[in-house]
Amino acid sequence: MRPTDRLGTLIQALRCLPGVGPKTAQRMAFHLLLRDREGAAALAGALQGAIQHIGHCLECRTLTEGELCEACADPKRDSSQLCVVENPAETFAIEQSTGYKGRFFVLNGRLSPLDGIGPDELGLDLLEAKLKSGTVQELILATNTTIEGEATAHYIGEMARHFRVRATRIAYGVPFGGELEYVDGTTLAHAFNGRQNL
Amino acid sequence: MPEYWRAGFQDGYVVHRRSYRETSLLVDVFSREQGMVRLLAKGASRGRSSKAGLLQPFAALALAWRGRGDLPVLREVEPLRRHNLAGSAVLCGLYLNELLVRLLPAGDAHPALFAAYGETLDRLVQGGGQEPVLRGFELLLLEQLGYAPPLEQEGDSGAPVLADGYYEYRPEHGPVPCAPHPQAFRGATLLALSARRLADGEQLREAKRMMRLVIGHALGGKPLKSRELFKYVKFEGN
Repeated sequence: MRPTDRLGTLIQALRCLPGVGPKTAQRMAFHLLLRDREGAAALAGALQGAIQHIGHCLECRTLTEGELCEACADPKRDSSQLCVVENPAETFAIEQSTGYKGRFFVLNGRLSPLDGIGPDELGLDLLEAKLKSGTVQELILATNTTIEGEATAHYIGEMARHFRVRATRIAYGVPFGGELEYVDGTTLAHAFNGRQNL
Repeated sequence: MPEYWRAGFQDGYVVHRRSYRETSLLVDVFSREQGMVRLLAKGASRGRSSKAGLLQPFAALALAWRGRGDLPVLREVEPLRRHNLAGSAVLCGLYLNELLVRLLPAGDAHPALFAAYGETLDRLVQGGGQEPVLRGFELLLLEQLGYAPPLEQEGDSGAPVLADGYYEYRPEHGPVPCAPHPQAFRGATLLALSARRLADGEQLREAKRMMRLVIGHALGGKPLKSRELFKYVKFEGN
């Protein structure tokens, strides 16, 4: 059976999702058309609405429907602390598990020169303007502990130093419940070198 | 001889990686015996795969791959040694990697450059002046590619470069004597660069400016993205 044009277009369109290859896309398309047409309509509507109405927050660049995201619009939050993360999902993770009540700045990526991603692509001019304004007392760098995440943290850390803002980096080391024997060497070395007084 | 050699392993460094299809990675490797090679690491970005963790930049790896065609498939990878770059050394490392990817043609072996790459990473870890280390690697890379800039002789006449002379640098020719002006290079800088003995901040700045000219010419116009990372970095000695 050859997929008709519209079916082929749908399968091709589903492949834009991460982790979805031709086989999975075909399975998804058949499922939506044969078993769950209501769900398919709801999905189409939700996608359309999201594309039209969700943009980047003017303050922190996270995804939001209004001009400002909920966190940036909340006057009770502490503007003197600004936490830099790579992705919007990480703001939720940090908030839920740490009780952090400061503000966020979302890079939507990380510095990676070989992928053509430099400071401008990450909206760091906006962050620069925030640091310049003088309201931020502490800049918390919560980028990932990959090479690119470290490079990003260092770049932004130097930027903070330039504007005389204190920059801190989240600690990393042995995970909770982790056994030293099975922790990889780099992490263990980092944890060992970063030991603290009891 | 280490055990892994017998099994068809080669030494190499990951210089760049990006995801490919659903769970695989395309990995650019700078290897000792075959230079730059692009490998397909199947299933490497799947959840808990140990390969994704190992295939990181700045770690000496033993790699074994299959196939010689368009896209050889990575079979096995073993960690040898990590260079624990931190702070601005990471930015320098990313700069080295961009130089390699942009300038080294695939498949050309450069064992001397490979050895120098590891040593350069070590020197970046040790700290101290990063700039002379970067200039040294740039010069060796250009030498290996046949773009080495003449530094001790004038470009056209072949007359020796004089320490107290002033020179303009023309990529196709080399140093050409000129009257002193702010953009001219001092002969002493060219000689110090050639001898890998850059001294003061002024010499370092001039040497950087000159290597930018030479590398820019070798790259053919499109600037290096990693230069943007150094906006706020203050090098020691500057």
